Amino acid sequence: MTNNYDIVIAGAGPAGLAAAVEAARRGARTLVVDENTKPGGQLFKQIHKFFGSHEHKAGVRGFAIGEKLLAEAAELGVEVWLNSVVWGLFANKVAVVRGGEQITLAAKKIILATGASENAVAFPGAALPGVMGAGAIQTMINVHRVLPGKRVVMLGSGNVGLIVAYQLLQAGAEVVALVEAASAIGGYGVHAAKIRRAGVPILVGTTIARAFGRGQVEGVVLAKLDESFQPVPGGETTLAIDTVGIAVGLTPLTELAWMAGCQFVFSPRLGGHVPLHDADMETTLSGVYVAGDITGVEEASTAMEEGRLAGIAAAAALGYGAAAAEADKAAVRSRMDVLRSGPFGLGRRTAKAEILAQRKEAASCRE
Amino acid sequence: MNKQTFDIAVIGGGVIGTAVAYYAAKAGRSVVLLEKDHIAAGTSGACDGFIIMQSKNPGPHLELAMESAALYRDLVAELDYDIEYQPKGGMIIIENDTQAALMQSHVAKQAASGLKVDILPIDEARRRELALAPDLWGATYCAADAQVNPVRLAQGFSRAARRHGADLRPGTAVTGLIADRGRVCGVTTAAGDIYCQYVVAAAGIWTPGLVRPLGLDLPIKPRRGQILVTEPLPPTIRHVLLCACYLVAKYRPQDLDPIERHNRLGVGLAVEQTADGGLLIGSTREFAGFDRATTLAGLEAVAAHARRLLPALASVNIIRSFAGLRPYTPDGLPVIGPAADIPGLIIAAGHEGDGIALSPVTGRRIADLLK
Repeated sequence: MTNNYDIVIAGAGPAGLAAAVEAARRGARTLVVDENTKPGGQLFKQIHKFFGSHEHKAGVRGFAIGEKLLAEAAELGVEVWLNSVVWGLFANKVAVVRGGEQITLAAKKIILATGASENAVAFPGAALPGVMGAGAIQTMINVHRVLPGKRVVMLGSGNVGLIVAYQLLQAGAEVVALVEAASAIGGYGVHAAKIRRAGVPILVGTTIARAFGRGQVEGVVLAKLDESFQPVPGGETTLAIDTVGIAVGLTPLTELAWMAGCQFVFSPRLGGHVPLHDADMETTLSGVYVAGDITGVEEASTAMEEGRLAGIAAAAALGYGAAAAEADKAAVRSRMDVLRSGPFGLGRRTAKAEILAQRKEAASCRE
Repeated sequence: MNKQTFDIAVIGGGVIGTAVAYYAAKAGRSVVLLEKDHIAAGTSGACDGFIIMQSKNPGPHLELAMESAALYRDLVAELDYDIEYQPKGGMIIIENDTQAALMQSHVAKQAASGLKVDILPIDEARRRELALAPDLWGATYCAADAQVNPVRLAQGFSRAARRHGADLRPGTAVTGLIADRGRVCGVTTAAGDIYCQYVVAAAGIWTPGLVRPLGLDLPIKPRRGQILVTEPLPPTIRHVLLCACYLVAKYRPQDLDPIERHNRLGVGLAVEQTADGGLLIGSTREFAGFDRATTLAGLEAVAAHARRLLPALASVNIIRSFAGLRPYTPDGLPVIGPAADIPGLIIAAGHEGDGIALSPVTGRRIADLLK
């Protein structure tokens, strides 16, 4: 009995916690399982203020949002298992390794909110100590308060690269350059402007050709690139640095959904292969829902809204809060549409609409 | 559409079909290989790579295996492709006196057939294979056992077959056999009919379905094996490892308590360290129709058995799992040769867990038969 839950959620990041709060608020017995030692996913390293409207917690910093979500979840009696790995889904069973022991959970509904992982990029010297993901830098400086190095070059000008470069400056490091292979900056202008004002050169059409050093990265050779991303002869410059940050995008962590047998679609805009889902976040497998970056790489704000949607829908499918469910879901969807607007959001909104359309086709094929 | 004519049409792009195509093409026959999916998409891409002699029953089974082992030593050079062949020797782990008695009689018969197998007490067995639990009875050791990468083996056979002129057609499903006055003379596919002197049905578990319309009822059925895959590790397991309960389950299933999960799922240890360092840890032996899914009970039973025999594996990370469907036959022997009463049809299927070990000899014997 104790291992029987209405809803089991894999991932205690913003999507998973938001799903848990909505499900538990409606009366569902809810468990969140996360392999990390702390809940919150990436929220606790986000010390910057969020954008959007008041409803989207604009002006509130990421870690504060995480604390509020955790407090809500605790108040509603959500169980959270940390240091626990969901390793398999078998029909309505969830296989978890907790404290070295295999535990089988019975779950009426399953929500996968496993997030995304940072992409790697290969160049000679990429395995030298001191070359690390931007996410690792963010964890070191914002969570552990440790500076990874003094002179940093950042590769990638998406929002992660821009924000982490700024946070490095705040933490007292020198960002020698931010390097971007494409011909234009990838992230928001407001973030790029901040680091430019601080004097960090943003070098577009440039990449890291190689890193070098004895036992630790001591420098990088940058290469100018032409429009087809080929190195321009004679376009090499060398920088003396002690840290390289890699911020070249994220890929949805979809293994559990693949294993379970969900149908997938390839969406470059959303970071790769993502599971098809309907407007309630339910995949092509009945009772298996997805929310957050597993459905396509976006931001914590949209991840939380998707989590709410999945939580409301999964609970309603079990009869919890069913009467108000349609209105509740409509409210979440309209907030999500606002988040997915503007020149950056619109592309994601189109990609997301495409997922829903393909999910409908998949359903009609099955019938 | 042009009439397509070959000496031999091979159905199935697993290790057996590609081996037949290789040896037949090498012997100068015109060969087409028809595979509904891609090379090694079925059982050959979902198994371990054991070339193990000492698990074979003395008699024709062991003779075939030993002939195959000799062919393997030539193939490494002939195929000109790295099949990750490793002649590392094999052990069969013995847990208790009952198993020891079975293995002693097995080993004596093998010796009479010319296969040298030693029985090692646990201290000596652990000296050679550090990961073994100290409270086991011991293990057998056979230097003739080896390992190969099954996917690369099928690739190696098919590439070499193509070099010898074979026409490989992955993505081509055979939809039926063409018979003329009782003689099989071709196959139908979505891409047209193909005519030939001989059809070699090497489609593993799918073979009975292919030949049933001709009134031939082959006793081959799918038997599922579930396998765990670990993260790449430094050298951890030096041999290919089986346990004696694999042989008990295979040759003396009546000795097992059918209620116990371990036995119900037919669990027997089969562990190898692949060339990239990962361990393959198997396996169940269950009848589950054509369902290739893994099950929680199956994976748990395999992991529990591996931990019992190789306690060091308890702290190793499993990164994935998979299941394959072995072509089981009731007598444990493959079906190789011309179909009785159906001229033109050759069967090469039903190797269950021995397909990797027996693929060269199967291919060679079929090619010799069709000379």
